[in-house]
Amino acid sequence: MRGDGKFFDTLVDAVEDRLGLITTWESFRDRDVHGGVRLRHVFPAVIMYLFVQQAVLGTVLATYYSPSATDAWASTAYVQDTVTMGWFVRGLHYHGTSVLIVVIGLWLAQMVLHRAYRAPREVTWWAGIGLLGIGLALGLTGNPLPWDQAGYWGIQVELSIAEQTPGGEIIRTLVQGGSEAGNLSILRLYALHIFVLPGAFAGLLWLVSRQRSQHGLPAPDGLSDADAHKATQRYFPAQAFLDVLAMAAVGGLVVAMTMQSHGAELLGPADPTENFQARPEWYFLFLYKLRMFMEGPMEPIATMVIPGAAVTFLVVAPFVDRVAGKVGRFVVLAGMAVLMVGTIGLTAYGIQSDAADEEFQKSVEAAEASALEARAYAKMGVVPLGGPAVFFNDPEYRTKMLYKEHCQGCHALGGVGGDEGPSLEDYSSRQWVSALIRDANTPRFFGNTKMKGEMDAYPEEDLPAEQLDAVVEYLMQLQGDTEVDAALAKKGATLWEDELECNACHEVEPGEEGDGPNLHGHGSQLWVARVIRDSSQGDLFGDYAAMPKFADKLSEDDINALAAFVVKQRGQAPLEVVPAAAAEPAPVAEDPEPGEGAAPESEEGEEPNPEEGDAPQPEETAGEEPAAAADAEVAADAAPEPEPEPAPKAKPKPKAKPKPAAPKADRANGRAVYMKKCKSCHGADGKGQTTFGKKLELASITPMGLSKIKKAVMRGVPGTKMKSYKNKLSAQEIDDVSAFAKSL
Amino acid sequence: MLRAKPRYDGVVGKRMGRGEDNGGAAGGSRRGFLTIGFGAVSVGLAGAALGPALAMVAHPLGNTTTSGSEGFVPVGGESSFGEEPTKVDIFADRVDAWNRVVQVKVGSAWVRAQGDELVAFSTVCPHLGCGIDYVPDQKKFLCACHNSWFSIEGGVETGPSPRGMDALETKVDENLVQIRYQRFKQGIEGKEPIA
Repeated sequence: MRGDGKFFDTLVDAVEDRLGLITTWESFRDRDVHGGVRLRHVFPAVIMYLFVQQAVLGTVLATYYSPSATDAWASTAYVQDTVTMGWFVRGLHYHGTSVLIVVIGLWLAQMVLHRAYRAPREVTWWAGIGLLGIGLALGLTGNPLPWDQAGYWGIQVELSIAEQTPGGEIIRTLVQGGSEAGNLSILRLYALHIFVLPGAFAGLLWLVSRQRSQHGLPAPDGLSDADAHKATQRYFPAQAFLDVLAMAAVGGLVVAMTMQSHGAELLGPADPTENFQARPEWYFLFLYKLRMFMEGPMEPIATMVIPGAAVTFLVVAPFVDRVAGKVGRFVVLAGMAVLMVGTIGLTAYGIQSDAADEEFQKSVEAAEASALEARAYAKMGVVPLGGPAVFFNDPEYRTKMLYKEHCQGCHALGGVGGDEGPSLEDYSSRQWVSALIRDANTPRFFGNTKMKGEMDAYPEEDLPAEQLDAVVEYLMQLQGDTEVDAALAKKGATLWEDELECNACHEVEPGEEGDGPNLHGHGSQLWVARVIRDSSQGDLFGDYAAMPKFADKLSEDDINALAAFVVKQRGQAPLEVVPAAAAEPAPVAEDPEPGEGAAPESEEGEEPNPEEGDAPQPEETAGEEPAAAADAEVAADAAPEPEPEPAPKAKPKPKAKPKPAAPKADRANGRAVYMKKCKSCHGADGKGQTTFGKKLELASITPMGLSKIKKAVMRGVPGTKMKSYKNKLSAQEIDDVSAFAKSL
Repeated sequence: MLRAKPRYDGVVGKRMGRGEDNGGAAGGSRRGFLTIGFGAVSVGLAGAALGPALAMVAHPLGNTTTSGSEGFVPVGGESSFGEEPTKVDIFADRVDAWNRVVQVKVGSAWVRAQGDELVAFSTVCPHLGCGIDYVPDQKKFLCACHNSWFSIEGGVETGPSPRGMDALETKVDENLVQIRYQRFKQGIEGKEPIA
């Protein structure tokens, strides 16, 4: 540019010569508005404006939206809740369609009112009808795109309606891309929504503009040609200003609607299993209501006959108008009135009846609550498995997955899982505990563990139901249950201590170690967490522990979450009171190695338990055992059995080399007691070659002296199956049996 | 029947030059008002839609849209690394816009013992981001894309790389080596993490 701007002028001229932009603008600007500026002429401009705005907003939305069944909902939630102004743009786009449909409807009404549909402008009129149809179709194809509940169910219902028309099945399959809704449905709807329909819409808009150039605007009724000509104004600036004001009013309305509703609604992800009460968008509500008036065989009337007749009427209106002087005009006006009153009336009725329908309102509230939850989770990111996978973010889901990974192999829950360990179904509830006491040796409890046989079964004849209930109540009290029947629990405690002698194996004071697990707080979250960490602790399952130690495999948080999850199972599935059976809670002694199918190992393999400090436990100190015992061990080691065996009971079981009878002890009685109480583990000859294997070899302890044997019988041997017989045998019997054992 | 098609009906010239007041003097102020009003409302309308639309398009300029691997990630036992570099892959949960992908490979590193501590180098070349490989024969690292050679200590020796290999934070927790994986700006001398 230099001097007086000649260069610039030259440049502009050059561009103008090539593109003719100024000429185009001027011819647009200077178009005649026949009969003068009128508000009624603003409609096409407003429709054009809305369409362009929808196109721009839609394009921006397309930079975030992902049209697949996996991602559609999540990407829409991302737009709605995360992207800067995303909710606003989406809201404008959504409400823009509603407003566009209304504006096209008003334009058609205006054309009827001012008889603008008459020749030669029928094509403009038909184009208007087409635009209305495409506007509705844009809504129809756009609403399912978020693939939320409303969108998914809406399109399901619409396609089902379509399916009931002749040839409808083909239409449904084509639109849906198959027999069921999914990725292809979304892509087809999306392609229609962003390419085909907008293309057709633009084409019709071009046709309207072309018609206007061809025929000009219709002069207002009542003006003579001459008057109209006299009143003619140019388009710019008066009509242009009016147009842009109308656009602003409509645009303001769209913005206001968007602000008021905080954008467009986004419900939870499409879930085909849920009973969602689908409602069409408001602009289809009248059809929905119409159908409800005509159910059954009348349905096609509502679906096809009435809408078809209405469209046909609109199409032929310009010709009807010409018939028989004013009659035709009257018919058109009356028809339009019926259509409008019918449509508006049905829409209003639909809105009003839904508002009054409590069930529907409840379902709307439920859907909205579920949407809030889903969208909150969605902010953490959705695992790309489709919208419903958003619930994987539920904290309990992680725990369930941990359970599945680490526990389910051995512990059944919800009908799934192994039976190597006790089932956790209804874990530690009254029913569960009752059933365990009746028979702990079933696969439901410890039947497939090394503890099998360790705890006696307590059938009905040994333990009547009311006693069982009392004991269970006492156990519930130990568990920490706050709602126990104190009197019953007290009765149970007495039974526990005195009659049933449960305390021979199970301690109930915190920290005390016994043969069986200490039951203080058993089944509580803390207790379960301890078991998960390391079940081989002395006051838990000790040497019988078979579970891997998770203390170093899982985080403390995960362990606590798992414990809470297990404890939560309690009371979820009430069980019938289980009939009698034999039960022995036998902890399985297994190395805490996660190795597959770990066979229970012999006790020697495990660390010696810290027993009562005084004496080395004869059974545990392999080194001390005589050759016979060693042989037995070798045998046991060589043949690990698939079924975990309970640990040995430490009962004196003498072997060869009869020794002089102990003084003052009655050997005959001792023998009788031995055969009754000790033989099953230690063998009739004390070699311990019973199913319990090597550990029961008594030869190693007999040299230890009578007092040690007596002590073992009295107190039991912690960490083994050897129970305390202090309360089961009289002092004399203990003396006798110890003496007998010593003699073996 | 009215036909209004006189686009160039004498009042309007074939083509008006710029600056011509095509309304004439009469009603000029009204025209001016309408013209300015038309312009102002049009601009406002366009802005109402385009503003939010552009804000939406520009969202990634001011917001993180992908994330993951910010914390330390275990890569193996301490004893599995020696003086000879070992390549480890780093797995982490990643958030990609609306998706959360569980335990995907986010990058890899060369780990070796240097003195009595372990060091980890990102395999991303500081030059243009190719993958750096180790050449055991020469005991050196090489980015073969543009022939950048690095010493076994990670320093740049020859080639276009503006700086040595990017060391990653490591720590050893109960014999478990953990690495905090990061990416750094390429093509500059300083080592600046990409936010």
